[in-house]
Amino acid sequence: MPTKKQKNTVRPSAIRWTGLSAFIIICALLMAFSWLLLDTIIKWTLERSIGTLNGAEVNISQVEHRWSPLGLKITGIQVTDPAEPEFNRLVIGDVTGEINVEQLLLGRFHFENVVSSGIRVHQQRSTPGEVYQLPDKQDVKDWTKGGLAKLNLSMPNVDDIIARIDLQTPAAIDQAKASIAEQKAVLEEARNSLPSAEDLKAYEAELKKITEAEIKTPQQFQEKREEFNALKEKFEADRARVKEIKARASTALDTLKADFETVKNAPQQDLERAQQLMQLNSEGLSEITAVLFGEQMRQWSQYMLLAYEQLAPMLARSADETLVKPQRGEGIWFEFSDANEPPSFLIKKAKTEFAWGETVLDVNWANITHQHEQLGQPTTFMARADNSSLWQALNLNGELALTAAGIDAKQQWQVKGIQLDNLKLSEQAEFIATLAAALLDSEGEVSLRDNLFDGGATVRLANMQVEAKAQNRWTEVIASALRQLNRLDINADIQGSLNAPELSFSSDLDRQLGSALQAAAVDAGKTELAGLKSKLQEQSGGFLGENQDVLENLSSLLGDANQRDAKLQEMLKAKFENQLEDKLKDRLKGVLGG
Amino acid sequence: MLTLLAKFLKALNSESGAWALAFAFVLGMMMGFTPLWRLHNLAILLIALLFRINLTGFILSFVICSGIAYLLDPWFHQFGFYLLSSESWQPLWQSMYQSAFWRVLQFHHSITLGSFIISLAFAPVLLITSFFIITQYRSRIQTWFNKLKLVQMLKANRFWAIYSDLRG
Repeated sequence: MPTKKQKNTVRPSAIRWTGLSAFIIICALLMAFSWLLLDTIIKWTLERSIGTLNGAEVNISQVEHRWSPLGLKITGIQVTDPAEPEFNRLVIGDVTGEINVEQLLLGRFHFENVVSSGIRVHQQRSTPGEVYQLPDKQDVKDWTKGGLAKLNLSMPNVDDIIARIDLQTPAAIDQAKASIAEQKAVLEEARNSLPSAEDLKAYEAELKKITEAEIKTPQQFQEKREEFNALKEKFEADRARVKEIKARASTALDTLKADFETVKNAPQQDLERAQQLMQLNSEGLSEITAVLFGEQMRQWSQYMLLAYEQLAPMLARSADETLVKPQRGEGIWFEFSDANEPPSFLIKKAKTEFAWGETVLDVNWANITHQHEQLGQPTTFMARADNSSLWQALNLNGELALTAAGIDAKQQWQVKGIQLDNLKLSEQAEFIATLAAALLDSEGEVSLRDNLFDGGATVRLANMQVEAKAQNRWTEVIASALRQLNRLDINADIQGSLNAPELSFSSDLDRQLGSALQAAAVDAGKTELAGLKSKLQEQSGGFLGENQDVLENLSSLLGDANQRDAKLQEMLKAKFENQLEDKLKDRLKGVLGG
Repeated sequence: MLTLLAKFLKALNSESGAWALAFAFVLGMMMGFTPLWRLHNLAILLIALLFRINLTGFILSFVICSGIAYLLDPWFHQFGFYLLSSESWQPLWQSMYQSAFWRVLQFHHSITLGSFIISLAFAPVLLITSFFIITQYRSRIQTWFNKLKLVQMLKANRFWAIYSDLRG
C-alpha cells in the first residue's frame, strides 16, 4: 500500500498586520499634510464654494487660521462679476472671524464676530475671471451706456412724419364720400316716395267735394262718411310715410354734417400731430434724465442695493440646490435640517467697512444666514454716519429673510449733503457734459417680496453747475438747458426681479428739454409744415365745396317733407264729420218743419 | 532605498490568488469612482491594506477608475441629485442628516452618494468578471503575454530585478 505523502500547509492569516502599519503611516501623513496645508485647503475650498454660489471665479490672496480662539483671517477677496468678467462685482480687503467650536463639532459653521474692511464694488480685474454660470439677468438698460447716441439726434423729415402719422384728412374725406354715396341713395328714394304737391291738391279737392256735397238722406250721409274715412286713412298713411322720410332725411343730414365737420377739422388736427412729432425722438426724450444721469445713478444704486444684489442671490442659491449648477466633478451639498435646529451657517454679527475713496462707511449686520426660518429672525443691516468728508448725514437700514416663497426684504435710506464734483455725464464727441458741482440729497425705500422689487427714491440735486458743450443745434438745445439748471429732482423707480432689477428715472428735465427740442424742430420744419397745411386745407376745402349741394338738397328735402307733413296734419284736423252731421241735421229739420 | 520599497511592496503584494486580485479590483474601483477625500475611502484603504488583497491590482484599479470617474461624474451627480431630492426618500435623508456618523460620511453630497451606490451595485459584477478573467488569463494568456517585447523590456529594469530577487 503506497504511503500517502502528506504535506503540512499553513494557511496564512486573513489579516496582514504590515498593512495596518501602512494604514497608520498613511493616516499620519494625511493628517500632517492637512495640518501643514490647512490654510491652502481652506483657501481652495472657499474659492470653489463661493465661486460656485457666485457663478464665476473667486480669488483669495491669503488665508490664515488660528487655533485659540478658533478663527480665520481671509485677505484679498475678489468676486468676479459673471455678467462682466473683466470686473469684480465685489472686492473685500480682508475678513476676520471667529468660529464657534461647539457648533463646528456638530457640523455647523457659526461665526461670532466677522469684521470685513476695504469693500468696493465694480472694480476692474487684472485679468478676466472665469465664468461658471452665466447670469440670466439682462443687465441694466442699454441706454444707460449708449448715451446720447441712442436719442437719434437727427433732423426730423416732414415726409417721414407724414408717413408716420397716418394723416386723418384723406381718411375723413374718404369717409365723407362714402357717406354721401349712401345718403344720396336715401335722398333719391325719399324724394320719390314723398307725396307730391299735386297729390296734396287732389286730396284738398276731394276733401272739399265731400264736405261741400249735398246731404239729403241718412244713406247719403253714410256714403260720404265712408268716403271721408277712406280719405282719412290715405292721409294717415301718407303722413306716416312723410314722417319716416323726415326721420331718414334728418339722420342723413346729421351724418353728413358730422362727416363734413370732421373733414373741415382734419387738416388742423393733422397739423397739430405733425408738430407734436416734430421732435428728435418721442421715446428718447423721456429718457434724457436716464441717459445723462442713469449710469451714475446705477453705480450709486449698486451700493444702495448691495445687500440685495450681492448677498441675497448668494444666500438664495445656497438655500436652493436647484439654483446652483455645480462645476464639473463638484456635485451639490444638500441640507435636510430640521425646522427647530440651529442654522448650519450663521454669522451672528458682522461689521463691513465699505470704502468710497478715503471715506469708510461701517455697516453693521446681524444674523447672516440662508436659513432664516430656522433662526426665526431676519438678517438685519444698519449704517449711520454723519459729517463724513463725502456727506453730511447718512442713514441706511433694512432687513432680509429667505422664506419658502423667496426673498423677503425691505430697506430704507436717507442721505443728505453729498458734495458732487466733476462728474462726467456725457463724453461723446457731439456732446460733452460735466456736472461741475452739486449738492445731493436722497431718500427712498425699496422692498423685495417674492423676489420682486418694488420701490422708489428721490434724488435732489441742488446748487448745480453743469458744463456742457455741443456740436450741433440739437445737442446745443440740451446743452443750453443743462447750463441753466440750478436744481433738479430725479425720481427713480425700482421694479423687476431680484436677478434683473429695472431702474427707471424721470425728472422735470425730460419735459423741459422735450418742449425746447420740439420747439426747435417745429421752427426748423416751418416751411414743410406750411406746405403740408396748405395741401391738407386744399383737399378738405375742395371736397366741402364740391359736395355742399348734397347738404343743401338734403336740407331742402327735409323742408319739403316738413311742409307736406304740416299740410296733411292740417287736413286731418278738419272736422269733416261734424260738418256733414250738421248738414244732415239741418236738412232733416227742414223736412220735418222743425 | 529601492530595496526597501521593493521589500515593502513584496510584503503587501504577496497575495496573488485570483480572489485576492478580484477583490483588489473591486475596492480600487470603489475608491476610484467616489470622491477621494471621503471617510469611506479610509475604510476601503484599511480593508485593502489589512486584509490579504493584492495591492498592485488595487492601485491599478484605483488609477484607472479615477480616470473613468471623471467621465462618469455627471451621471453620478444626476443619480445622487435624483435620490437626494426625491420626495419619497426625504424622511430617510432627514433622519440620516441628524446623525453625526452619516454626516461625516457626507452622504448628502450628490456625487458621493451617486457614485457610492453605483459602484456598490457594480461591485459584484466586477468581482465575478475579474475572477473569471484572471483565471482565464493565468491558464491561457500569461505565457503569451510574458513573451511580449515590451514586457521583457520592463522586466530588464533594475527595480524589477530587485523585486524578482525578493520574490525568489
